[in-house]
Amino acid sequence: MKIAFIGLGIMGRPMALNLLKGGHEVTVWARRAESMQPLLDAGAQGAASPAEAARGKGVVISMVADAPDVAEVMRGVAQGAAPGLVAVDMSTIAPAAARQIGLDLAAAGVDFMDAPVSGGEVGAIAGTLSIMAGGSDAAFAKAKPAFECMGKNIVHVGASGAGQVAKAANQIVTGMGVLAVAEAFAFAAKNGVDRNRVREALLGGFAYSKILENHGQRMLDRNFKPGFKSWMHEKDLNIVMQTAHELGLCLPGSAATAQMFNAMVGSGMGEEDSIAVLKLLERLSGQE
Amino acid sequence: MKVGFIGLGAMGRPMALHLQRAGYELFVWARRPASADGLPATLCATPAELGRQCDVVFTIITSSADVEAVALGSNGLIEGMAPDSVLIDCSTIAPDAARRIAARLAEKGIHMLDAPVSGGTQGAIDATLAIMAGGDAAVLERVRPLLDCLGQRIVHIGPSGAGQVAKACNQMIMVAAIEAAAEAMRLASASGVDCAKVKQALAGGSAASRVLDVMGERMVKRDFAAGIEARLHHKDFGLVLEAARKSGVPVPLTASVAQQLNALMAQGWGKDDTASLLRVLERA
Repeated sequence: MKIAFIGLGIMGRPMALNLLKGGHEVTVWARRAESMQPLLDAGAQGAASPAEAARGKGVVISMVADAPDVAEVMRGVAQGAAPGLVAVDMSTIAPAAARQIGLDLAAAGVDFMDAPVSGGEVGAIAGTLSIMAGGSDAAFAKAKPAFECMGKNIVHVGASGAGQVAKAANQIVTGMGVLAVAEAFAFAAKNGVDRNRVREALLGGFAYSKILENHGQRMLDRNFKPGFKSWMHEKDLNIVMQTAHELGLCLPGSAATAQMFNAMVGSGMGEEDSIAVLKLLERLSGQE
Repeated sequence: MKVGFIGLGAMGRPMALHLQRAGYELFVWARRPASADGLPATLCATPAELGRQCDVVFTIITSSADVEAVALGSNGLIEGMAPDSVLIDCSTIAPDAARRIAARLAEKGIHMLDAPVSGGTQGAIDATLAIMAGGDAAVLERVRPLLDCLGQRIVHIGPSGAGQVAKACNQMIMVAAIEAAAEAMRLASASGVDCAKVKQALAGGSAASRVLDVMGERMVKRDFAAGIEARLHHKDFGLVLEAARKSGVPVPLTASVAQQLNALMAQGWGKDDTASLLRVLERA
């Protein structure tokens, strides 16, 4: 299949590479020309604009930072779109923004799908991302071969915006999960108990989670390199909190967690992994 | 002096009347002209037309987008107001939005003060509002006689946007205090204790506050008819949290209270008084 891929950052680059490995014809575009080079070296075509990238393609995929970027890229895509084009945005943006972009593109004859991912850089490289898709059945069917090159757990969640709703829900669980593990470790340490042993004990019970296992280990190793940067988790939780505000939805745990990430960004930890929330807890309780 | 007034709601109407009674010639514009009924004022067709006739224009409307539209939109104030005239925006909007609008107006030589108020409908009627102003101090001194008709405590906080920052601080403290009062009332009644007595006792001690006085009384009487519509506090909390996020300042209590306000909205009590936070607790 002829696929255009737009946005070649930490996530986008390995995702596009996996499409190439899957045997697809891939055309790339990125704002910074130098980010395109590794893909061109691997056999991708380069384009001069999103419109040019989209021309003659069956599927266009974007992986960029925020809703305004998605809207801008997709305006270009619409200009170059052939009839029946499926445009898939895999960035994490607000569900309402995704729905609006879907409506705008429908007017231009483009079938839009939101398909944010979970699994981080590791999952992107390994092609094991979780992909949560929102949009029409036809769009999902057309994009599915592309999804299968990039991810393992691929779920068509529902109509336009539903993928972003699932992703926001994912960020609620992972955000609170990271904070919960960090609090459990701070609790153990303040009580003079070895947190390595605590983690080991908990892994066998109902508190088991991937976050306790993987993120917990990195906390114990005090390895705060990203991974998933805390400013990005803050951004995602802000999508959750804004949506809750608009809908009239009471989310006390998410709100408290969002403020912890807000404090991390404000105190210069934004570029560290979100597990650095452990350091914030330790600072608050004089455990440094 | 000719004074324009836009936003003739529960707050704006008594404020406009105070200015008219003080001898200023009053010009008004309203999205729904009916809201100007019975006001001794000249009704203008557009904000621009109102701006053309006035030396000073007041606005007190709901959202950042509303103020932006009235000030900068087509047929907006910017098209009519003369250089060196003054816009006093008494709405509660985002500090960022206030700064942005002021900068655009400044390009045309029009001054803007952000001058949000606290004190509620009663404060507007009694002309006892607290007014927190951001903008040029000399401009504030020029229009101070007008503000004196509306309030008692008029403070120049700082440059453009500073008034809105102060108002955000005001809302944080006030609504958190309402939530605290509601939780205290809830605990008292759940413990089988008379809320009225608790409130009476507290009024004499360290927990005494205007909020406990006014909102506590509404809770005791279960009078949830609006003084201040809770949806406005809900809106303000959106602004506060956004400002905190932009500054990277953690506001855990504010964030928690915001969730109670979200629940209040979900119950359909947005047009009732914020004392309804008590009813939210009773749902749990």
